[in-house]
Amino acid sequence: MDVQRGILNKLSFSEARHLVARTGFGPEWQRIKSIEGKPMRTAVQMIIGQRHSQPPRPPSLSPWSRLLTFRKGERQKRMIMRVGKGEGKALQTWWANHMLKTRAPLVERMTLFWHNVFPSTIEKTLAPSLLYQQNLTIRKHAFGGFRELLHAVSKDPAMLLYLDGYKNQKEDPNENFSRELLELFTVGIGVYQERDIREAARAFTGWSIDDRSGKFVMNAQKHDPNMKTIMGRKANFNGDQVLDMLLRHPRTAERVAERFWREFISVSHPNRGTVKRWAHVFRASNYNIAKLLETVLTSNEFWDERNRGALIRSPIDLAIGTLRTLPYKLPKNNLSHQLNNMGQALFNQPSVKGWEGGQEWLSTQSLLLRNNLLSNLTRGVMRTENSHFAKLLPTSSPDELEAWLLPIPALTERPAQKGNQRLVRNFVLDPAYQLL
Amino acid sequence: MNRRDFLQFASLTMAGSMIPGMDLLAEARYSGKIVVLVHLDGGNDGFNTLVPYADEAYYALRPKIAIKGRHVIKLKDGFGMHPQLKPLEQYWKSGQMAWVQGLGYPNAILSHFKSLDVWESGSVNQHAQGWLANVLPKYKKGLHGVVIGGAVGGNSVMKGSQLNAVTMQNPKSFIKAAGRISDIGISRRNPAIAHVSNVQHQLHQVGKQIAERVGPSPKGVPGRFRGELGHGLEAVAQMILSGVDAPVYKVRQDGFDTHAGQITAQSNSLFQLANGLHSFANVMRRSGRWNDVVVVTYSEFGRRAKENRGQGTDHGTASAHLVMGGAVKQGIYGKHPDLKRLDGNGNVAHTTDFRSLYATLSERWWRQGNPWKGHRSIPFV
Repeated sequence: MDVQRGILNKLSFSEARHLVARTGFGPEWQRIKSIEGKPMRTAVQMIIGQRHSQPPRPPSLSPWSRLLTFRKGERQKRMIMRVGKGEGKALQTWWANHMLKTRAPLVERMTLFWHNVFPSTIEKTLAPSLLYQQNLTIRKHAFGGFRELLHAVSKDPAMLLYLDGYKNQKEDPNENFSRELLELFTVGIGVYQERDIREAARAFTGWSIDDRSGKFVMNAQKHDPNMKTIMGRKANFNGDQVLDMLLRHPRTAERVAERFWREFISVSHPNRGTVKRWAHVFRASNYNIAKLLETVLTSNEFWDERNRGALIRSPIDLAIGTLRTLPYKLPKNNLSHQLNNMGQALFNQPSVKGWEGGQEWLSTQSLLLRNNLLSNLTRGVMRTENSHFAKLLPTSSPDELEAWLLPIPALTERPAQKGNQRLVRNFVLDPAYQLL
Repeated sequence: MNRRDFLQFASLTMAGSMIPGMDLLAEARYSGKIVVLVHLDGGNDGFNTLVPYADEAYYALRPKIAIKGRHVIKLKDGFGMHPQLKPLEQYWKSGQMAWVQGLGYPNAILSHFKSLDVWESGSVNQHAQGWLANVLPKYKKGLHGVVIGGAVGGNSVMKGSQLNAVTMQNPKSFIKAAGRISDIGISRRNPAIAHVSNVQHQLHQVGKQIAERVGPSPKGVPGRFRGELGHGLEAVAQMILSGVDAPVYKVRQDGFDTHAGQITAQSNSLFQLANGLHSFANVMRRSGRWNDVVVVTYSEFGRRAKENRGQGTDHGTASAHLVMGGAVKQGIYGKHPDLKRLDGNGNVAHTTDFRSLYATLSERWWRQGNPWKGHRSIPFV
């Protein structure tokens, strides 16, 4: 669809489906119908505007002051492992269930997106209560200013634990946070030297976690106030000033734009010109995330027919998307366990780079697990007991079912025997169902 | 689509069209070179496995848990094996066993998870792919590896979009699950569906191959296979003998994280290891495949030189690993780490980079050159 045309024209079913599937979890029928026939820009604004969703109360999580007593001494190590793992599971379940039920799925999608840009893990921090707080912080800024988000995450206690920032002191600078800040969170490899990492680390010395409150604290006596030379500039930088300097570098916005491409457009390499254009809009809006999102969702690239089904569903897209869209339910309530198995453990990315995503979601190993899940789901437990399957579907036309459930035509033949339950199962197990 | 995508895309399509049916089945019996990786999960104590019984420093550091010279199964040059490795002594005597000492890497990481990533990726800071991804896609098409046990993500050694690997508990349950995967043609509509349909096609082929070759109720192989490792090795033997064409299998033995009470704990695990490997080697020898197989152990790290108060050892650095197979050249390779020169954590410095092990398998076993320039191969095969 040409954007100019889109402003005037109304979204077709398949266009509405495309927008819903990529901004929520699964092509939910009601959500498609709510924007079908609306002008494209109106629909995009409606969807970006849907933010009314309070996450439920968190599970009971040990506060930092309590975790701290476990962290002292070898003997307590087992205790903190046990607390970390047990509460960590509860936290994963908390978020997975919220994604399943929320009425504002784009809020979760964006929170998940930033959660993967700025990962902090249960495995390393062993502090689920701090990870919960981090989730609230990310959630708060998910559509707001990237500047504020970057500053908030850099001072976030779970991040200070995850990348050893809390150990970073004048006498013994720790480079872990500084390295990932430059390499992954902002400018990226190629525009700085090893020396810049060391110098930037000194600017963040003294940033730590308050023993009692578990909140950020600046220990002035552990901060190194002397001159630092970072990427050619010399000053007695503090941490905030380093963050602002990195935000002034054009690569920072470009790298966010590249991530938006991989999140919303295609598994193929981001188009250079598009990335530059989006990055420019992002910087010109003082890093307004909602503005960037709107730019992406109204772009020619987003609506280009060749990009339908050009993404691979993450385990969350696959599992939660299916459960929200079709009248199936898991035999056992083990959603977050299923996600862990398929390689998307919430609050537990494999490394600071986050989940690789894209084609890496799907290998011969993970396809078997994904297929097992879908096969078990479609074999039969319905969301409502004793109900006739056909009655639970919004349409009974095989062509309409296919256009609803799959972003591109099915690769497999339709079953010879009649029956919509069988037909839907067939579509769900089709390779095209793995796409977004 | 840019050039890189196009090339990737084109290679997929070519693979699909050039070889009719992309045949894993067209090859008769796989006669290629096989590696069986045995992960000693938890970080095995190399010093109490290949014992430096002539090193006084070893006894000074470990007054309680050192293995006395008279209990050691003596090999040569003052080194010998843990007594529980007795079943493997015959392989040393017949020249089919080698040891590599001091394996590790600079600035060792002491976290299980992270150090395992280093070992399994073959890189200190790039863990996106398993080390096998540098070798096997060139070596052959179709199936590359089978992991027995574990979940996705726990098998970074087989990670990589060009690697066709499957994880299974055993062939029987795998055949059942893979039987639900339908066969499809490879679609070229966009790069995402090209990838998905290619993977599904591969998985279907692997499932079909294993189902056809192993059969619905796999025949047992002779020998005593016990425990997780034993059953894993039994499954590996079944697949090799029925002609499954994977060049790599991975199995694991746990129980090596011996922070306390090491003597009993490590003895148990080494007992499992020795008996499992002996039974496996026996089957391979009798069926004439032993010359095609190399068994290699690895572990996330070794252990602290000095014993701790709980008669155990904490996370360490360098460790010795064993290699077995009909084509293996006997020897104790690499240098024994200096137990008198320890770092701030009380750990030894490594003497051989672990990537030399991979370089050897790539260069000397699979004949694929050395992707780890700067890490020379070791003449154990």
